[in-house]
Amino acid sequence: MIITSKKTKNKIMKRKKITIVTAVLLLMVSAGIYFYYGIIFKEARNIASEAPDFSITAKKLLEDYNADPKKADSVYLNKTIEITGKVTKETNSTIILENTVFCLFKEKLKNKMINNKMTIKGKCIGYDELFMEVKIDQCTVK
Amino acid sequence: MEHRWSKRKLIIMKKSFINFFALLLVIVANTSGFAQKLITKSGNIKFQASMPSYEEVAAESKSVSAVLDQTTGDFASLVLIKGFRFKVALMEEHFNENYMESEKFPKATFKGKIEDFDSSKITNSPKNFTLKGDLTIHGKTKAVSVIVKISKAPNGVNAIGTFEAKPEDFDIEIPSLVRKKIADKIKINYNFLLAK
Repeated sequence: MIITSKKTKNKIMKRKKITIVTAVLLLMVSAGIYFYYGIIFKEARNIASEAPDFSITAKKLLEDYNADPKKADSVYLNKTIEITGKVTKETNSTIILENTVFCLFKEKLKNKMINNKMTIKGKCIGYDELFMEVKIDQCTVK
Repeated sequence: MEHRWSKRKLIIMKKSFINFFALLLVIVANTSGFAQKLITKSGNIKFQASMPSYEEVAAESKSVSAVLDQTTGDFASLVLIKGFRFKVALMEEHFNENYMESEKFPKATFKGKIEDFDSSKITNSPKNFTLKGDLTIHGKTKAVSVIVKISKAPNGVNAIGTFEAKPEDFDIEIPSLVRKKIADKIKINYNFLLAK
């Protein structure tokens, strides 16, 4: 009675071990495939569909950059931000808000926006010292 | 009578003198003022670092700033590294994080002078000029001399050209694993439509 139960116990233990090992192996392989494809074929950021990290006025953004460019970079650089301000200049595919924020669009702009108050979403790419402007790209109109 | 005449003459002379002075002032303001600066905020820089039979390594920025002083030929340009767009998202990430370290060095700049620049000699057909100055990439500055083709454009000039840069000159390390996939010399094309 005792001997048979020991045998079955051993058998059960063996089975358990095999199932655990195969489960771990499966998990590792699937994780490997997931990471491989996740990294190699990583989707590009879609700024238009991302929720903004900050939603501020054009003036505030420039103030922050003028106060401390390094600190402002650490806060805003590469982030999706929403900027509100009056359109002071427009060209084919760019607009400038309050003479301080340069917005680059992917497509050519159709509707006239000059002098209108607008909210633009885009990715902050940094501060342009030549013209003392903050630049954002991949812009969309909100 | 005689006295009146001379007084009148004096007033006329005074007036014309003031007019002349005003004209002079306008001329001076025009030649030395901001009117002579040509600018762009949406210049174009493309670079190519592809190797034959490997994946294309190329990117483009359409938000390059540049200023040209027409009287002196002084030229300055600034490009934000995060503004470079690649076709492959992973490549863009590696470019920013591993090679250019764009959090630490968010921009590349050029400051220099176009030699013997004379805006009156600019015509519709492109003319070659030598542009000499300091190129700063990845926080490291190097003196460069490049050929720039300048032609007349509506309201200003068009400046285009090509030059090559080596990553090691700017302390940009490329791991040996990907070394053969990236060209030793990176070809950089620029196109600035500078206007008043």
